Amino acid sequence: MIQSVGRAARILKALGSESARLGVTELAERVGLAKATVYGLLRTLEAHQFVQQDLETGKYRLGPALLQLGNAFLDHHELRARSLLWADALAARAREAVHVGVLYGPNVLLVHHVFRPDHSVQILLVGASIPWHACALGKAIVAYLEPAQRRELLAGPLPRLTGRTLTTRQALLSELDRVVAGGVAVEDQEAIVGEAGLAAPLFDNRGAVVGAIGLAGPVEHLLPDGPAAEAVAAVKQAARGLSRELGAGRLSAPGAGA
Amino acid sequence: MRSWLGGVAARLEAERDFLTQLDAAIGDADHGINMHRGFAAVMRKLATVDRATPGQLLRVTGRTFVSTVGGAAGPLYGTAFLQAGETLGDEGSFGPRRLLEALRASLDGVQRVGAASEGDKTMVDALAPGLAAYELELRTGGSLETAVRAGREAAAEGTRATVPMQARKGRASYLGPRSVGHQDPGATSTALMFAALEQAVLADRSQRFATGSRTRASRR
Repeated sequence: MIQSVGRAARILKALGSESARLGVTELAERVGLAKATVYGLLRTLEAHQFVQQDLETGKYRLGPALLQLGNAFLDHHELRARSLLWADALAARAREAVHVGVLYGPNVLLVHHVFRPDHSVQILLVGASIPWHACALGKAIVAYLEPAQRRELLAGPLPRLTGRTLTTRQALLSELDRVVAGGVAVEDQEAIVGEAGLAAPLFDNRGAVVGAIGLAGPVEHLLPDGPAAEAVAAVKQAARGLSRELGAGRLSAPGAGA
Repeated sequence: MRSWLGGVAARLEAERDFLTQLDAAIGDADHGINMHRGFAAVMRKLATVDRATPGQLLRVTGRTFVSTVGGAAGPLYGTAFLQAGETLGDEGSFGPRRLLEALRASLDGVQRVGAASEGDKTMVDALAPGLAAYELELRTGGSLETAVRAGREAAAEGTRATVPMQARKGRASYLGPRSVGHQDPGATSTALMFAALEQAVLADRSQRFATGSRTRASRR
């Protein structure tokens, strides 16, 4: 490991976890380094626009180059790039928000988010990270992982996010069986009270699961009396279409007959 | 009880835009509108209820809330009111101790549905300290009046304390560090209910002084 790169990364993370700007002294305390060291790192990061100094107070915050890198990450993300049209179509058809996510450790990283098409104020969740066991996307992905990977995730921490989060290995195992049986994962207020989700897995040309696409919205819309049949059909169709575009054969997509 | 619910409705109406603004930073910008709509529905419903015990009024409030308010606020506040209403039962009046039990049942209900603890940046950060301060004041010889004041102050303080917190529950938790620096809308609306509670208790007392009513003993 290169020490100075690690230190620079810690400085960036410290700045990213604070809404207020930080001075050199505060930053030095947070990352446990000498002020002179932190100052040198900040000057270098500033030259690359990874941090910005406020001229009046002399304090630092994150710089614009990070946004460009973040956008580049998303632009180069093949799944995201290919999902744009499918996600838009799904949102328009179901009149709900669409999430596209990939598994990143024990969490689902949202790489794409289409707002519910009703002109209401919504907050962009791209980049958000949700524990796999609490969301439809995560359950849709994990249900189709190799058994070894699935076991590892089931053995990991399963934090409770609401009163309805499934937090036992046994409950999640039966839940994953239900996902495979129905070809769709259902989330009933397991991550956020009042919020539901429906998601289906996405496969690549090797037939491996690479992510999931789904709807997120008020529980009374998506699960009026069990999962809304039309919404389930829309999610499955979008997942099948997108998987084909990613090179998956017709047979590897689950629930192809539905 | 009616006076308290009416006070909550009035405050929610006045603070609707503020709550919505708070929610826009870390949520879906619908908390103010949802709470206002829910309580407007509650007021319409209560206007049709002629004679009811405090517990019944709370249960009507809870049911109306669940059926008219979307998002997290409907189930969470709906449960809180329902549980409080169940606790008060069908008795014609209640005293400070019963109110304590009702508040505790509300907190339990909210935590059962939302699984939130103090420090998660939710309504629990106003409800739990408000309840604790109310209880402490009662146990150390305070009156109902001083207890509701202590509750109001602690709930407001708990709400302010949500500003630097990183959300661990609800949609705001998806934002991770970006949720830091914003006051939680749910804690804010809960603190507002404690403020309305104090006001209703004070109004009730002055009314009893004015009418010379001797119902005081029956309320203990």
